[in-house]
Amino acid sequence: MSQTIFERYGGFAAVRKIVSTFYEYCLEDEVMAPYFADVDMRRQIDHQSKFISAVMGGPASYSDDHLQRVHARLGITHEAFLVMAGLFKEAMEDHDMANPDVAAVMREVVSREHLVVSA
Amino acid sequence: MSDPGKPDPASPPAPAVASSAEAPEPTASTAPVSLPDLALRSIGSAVAIVDPATWQILFENGLFFEWFGPEAEADVPLASRMEGLDLEALSAKLEKGRRYTWETEVTSGARTVTTEVEVRRLRHDERELLLVEARNISKRKEAEYLLDSYSRMAEKNARDLQREKERAEKLLLNIMPRAVYEELRDYGSTTPQRFESASVLLLDFVGFTDMAIANDPTSTIAELNDIFSAFDRIVELYGCERLKTMGDAYMAVSGLPEANPDHAVNLAKVALRMRRYIERRNAAHPEAWRCRIGLHSGPIIGSVVGVQKYVYDIFGPGVNMAARMETLADPMQIVMSEATWMLVRDEFACTDLGEVEVKGFGTQRIYSLDAEASGRFA
Repeated sequence: MSQTIFERYGGFAAVRKIVSTFYEYCLEDEVMAPYFADVDMRRQIDHQSKFISAVMGGPASYSDDHLQRVHARLGITHEAFLVMAGLFKEAMEDHDMANPDVAAVMREVVSREHLVVSA
Repeated sequence: MSDPGKPDPASPPAPAVASSAEAPEPTASTAPVSLPDLALRSIGSAVAIVDPATWQILFENGLFFEWFGPEAEADVPLASRMEGLDLEALSAKLEKGRRYTWETEVTSGARTVTTEVEVRRLRHDERELLLVEARNISKRKEAEYLLDSYSRMAEKNARDLQREKERAEKLLLNIMPRAVYEELRDYGSTTPQRFESASVLLLDFVGFTDMAIANDPTSTIAELNDIFSAFDRIVELYGCERLKTMGDAYMAVSGLPEANPDHAVNLAKVALRMRRYIERRNAAHPEAWRCRIGLHSGPIIGSVVGVQKYVYDIFGPGVNMAARMETLADPMQIVMSEATWMLVRDEFACTDLGEVEVKGFGTQRIYSLDAEASGRFA
């Protein structure tokens, strides 16, 4: 039986680190930071960890509907989405994920752009 | 935080060319100390300023010296004092305008402390410098360890639960067809379904009750279990379904829940092989088992019955007819209704047993199923 990416990298413990690094980058980035000005980062990181766990084949807890609903009023642009994707990729690479796995997760993330971008 | 790039000149290890092996503390109490310097000395972080060209440490505070002090007296560049520092990775990160961080363990007194070291660029008087700052993150590591250990446990429990769920599903699939199971799972109930064309087989053993009394009941049941298990394999081989057993009776169906145009032929093959199995078995065992088999084809209703104790069962006159055929059979005979005979007569050798009165069904013509037309089971 083939393991999921989630299982191969050690489950939630791995996701937590990647997501934490990702938000460090987001808050330092001039395009990304404004989106998080009034955001409770604790909850944000919590949600994102669950979402990324699901994308990596871990316990699924996010539907596309949900994703769309929570991003609908944020006015996220295509450019911001690209920056986000780049930072996320960098965070995964920072935590020594193999290229094919990074690519697989990125495909999942990028395929949801239409749910997230609204401006 | 205070700018360590310009510490007070009065500070003992002033931004000299390199830090020395002399710890700054011993003189600290006697020399006058400026406030920024006092702050820098008392702060809980280890701080150093490094020249990126030579990697020489230009300044370090007391804690930095305590945590990352050189082993020898010689001035040594940063990398040899800090374990886990990857200069290549550091350069790559700084190049991108990012900070470089890594975690390393240091000894502080008798304890081992986990620190997170961060390196970032700093400009001072037109000069490129690096600020190296290490923080004690032992507390955070403890919390992370706890969290990771707990989530591993939760993940393991989730996997166990999933396995258990699959096991339960497999068990339920043994007692009901998949389509029915899915309906039950998704809607909590099932609707009875009518199968227009299906076949039913009923098998019973002659004198089973007497056998169980005359012999050791335990071994009789064990033998029955062997026989039924063999029947299960035969039934599966021909794509039919074992529906249930009731005591020494065995019921199998074909043509439900998935329609199958060959339902009667398949079940007839099953019947012949069951009888042959008993014959072979009797030849090799002291105990002789003798069965009667009844076959009937027609419309049948299938449904789950019960709420807590699910049973998938079949209903309708067709089921009763199969039971009547079985009671009409002589020991080791297979008797079928005319409806089944119509469907199998081209492929099997059958004998017309004439018309008989069948309770609840009036006068019926019945047939015995003798062998496959090829004569293989003659």
